[in-house]
Amino acid sequence: MNPIERLARAPIAALDFTNILLTQRDAAVAVTPKDVIWTHRETTLYRYRSNKRRHPVPVLLVFALINRPDIFDLRPGSSFVEFLLEEGFDVFLIDWGYPDEEDADIGLESYVCDELTWGIREALRCSGQDEISLLGWCIGGTLCLFYGGMQGADAVRNMVLLTTPVDTRVGVYTTWVGRESFDVDYVADGYRAVPGHVIDWANKLMKPVTNYWTTYRLLWEAVLDGQDRRAAYQPMARWIADNPPFAARAFREWITWMYKENRLMNGSFRLRGRLVDLSKIDQSLLVTTAGADHIAPPEGTHPLFDMVSSDDITRLDRPGGHIGLMAGSRARKEIWPDIAQWLRDRSDSTSPRRRNSNGNHRDSDS
Amino acid sequence: MADERHPSPAEETKRLYEEAETRTARAFENLVSRDSFGELLARMTENTVALTKIWTDIFDFALRNLRLAGRQDITRLARQLGRTEDKIEMLLQEVERLQDRLGVDARPGRTGDGRHASSGNGAGERPSGERGAAATTGSGDSS
Repeated sequence: MNPIERLARAPIAALDFTNILLTQRDAAVAVTPKDVIWTHRETTLYRYRSNKRRHPVPVLLVFALINRPDIFDLRPGSSFVEFLLEEGFDVFLIDWGYPDEEDADIGLESYVCDELTWGIREALRCSGQDEISLLGWCIGGTLCLFYGGMQGADAVRNMVLLTTPVDTRVGVYTTWVGRESFDVDYVADGYRAVPGHVIDWANKLMKPVTNYWTTYRLLWEAVLDGQDRRAAYQPMARWIADNPPFAARAFREWITWMYKENRLMNGSFRLRGRLVDLSKIDQSLLVTTAGADHIAPPEGTHPLFDMVSSDDITRLDRPGGHIGLMAGSRARKEIWPDIAQWLRDRSDSTSPRRRNSNGNHRDSDS
Repeated sequence: MADERHPSPAEETKRLYEEAETRTARAFENLVSRDSFGELLARMTENTVALTKIWTDIFDFALRNLRLAGRQDITRLARQLGRTEDKIEMLLQEVERLQDRLGVDARPGRTGDGRHASSGNGAGERPSGERGAAATTGSGDSS
């Protein structure tokens, strides 16, 4: 398209561009049919409908306390849930809901010792199985680690951790909230439920030009070139803009214990008085990091390998960002099949719970 | 040797712009990761929280004087409901534990040994639905 043609197309492109931005809230996300299995306060356990279940060990998806778990099921054709269902897995998802001021007293211990523990229990009861695979993403992965480190997690056969923060000595977050002058108590007392848009603003501020300018420039250029980007752009934009509040107590504990005191690494992390001892985790472990992750950088996840006692550890170090790794355009062809294959090999009803007891540690960096 | 195609002025301008944008992005990322920026952010956050608190208190005070339920009243009520739900949850879990121990199940589709009868989709599973009562979300649900 020559410059004259581009100029002639600009008015209609401007209308298209504006329309895409204005209607992004109406984009359909998380449309895969699912059933509500259990609810407690803001938490809901879903089970996705499927008639293709082949692998007996169900998979429970655990997302972070910021943003929504809809990213697991972003849009038809680009849905990790849909992919897992096609692969024959029995898929459950725990949704933390939208905590508000009345949930200010919900701490990390409530999420781990109550909601997650009970969610696992209900998923097992519903599927009629004795073991489950946990798949945690970001803070969701850390919650899975807390759970495993506290309970030993006999009911968990496999753990898949995606871009999970463990050691917080590195990273922009630590520079911002780990410093003494950041008064987390004042923020938690003042807000009682830290608004999601505040957290979203902070996350975007880590890459300000990319998030506040480049994204829109690229969309504009695509529209100007006549590409139909609506279907790809809108669900992701809607998901990014959908930010539930962070319950005040959980926020205070997360910032203090993880970023100010780095308790998980110091071995002093306690929930309800019980020590979170990561050496209790002996499940098969798949740990995935993203090379360009600015929220949970790979060097903040890697120390985990020396802390758990799992014999079967698979490590995937991939390029990409914190979200792009799993929800980007290449995820369906690159990372999802690897995760599905890894789970498939460990979701057989007859297979022993602990594989590779001879101490294999497999790295498959790529 | 193949002829090298020279970029048009428009392409060259675009390339230069993109390079500048990348450099600017990197510069801003360096800027926000500095200690001084962290300090600035900490102060700004405190001021924002303080302003929010003042505004919320004034608004709540005004509502209460109008004899209307303010945010605090609703929060108190919702917290009470939450506590009640906690107790019901504990009670339900206790009932389920007892059912499992006794091998009794009032729900259809379960076997007497406390395990769930097969529904054809997988071995020994319980029919979907919130504690036996069907609760379904389908297409278009974004919850």
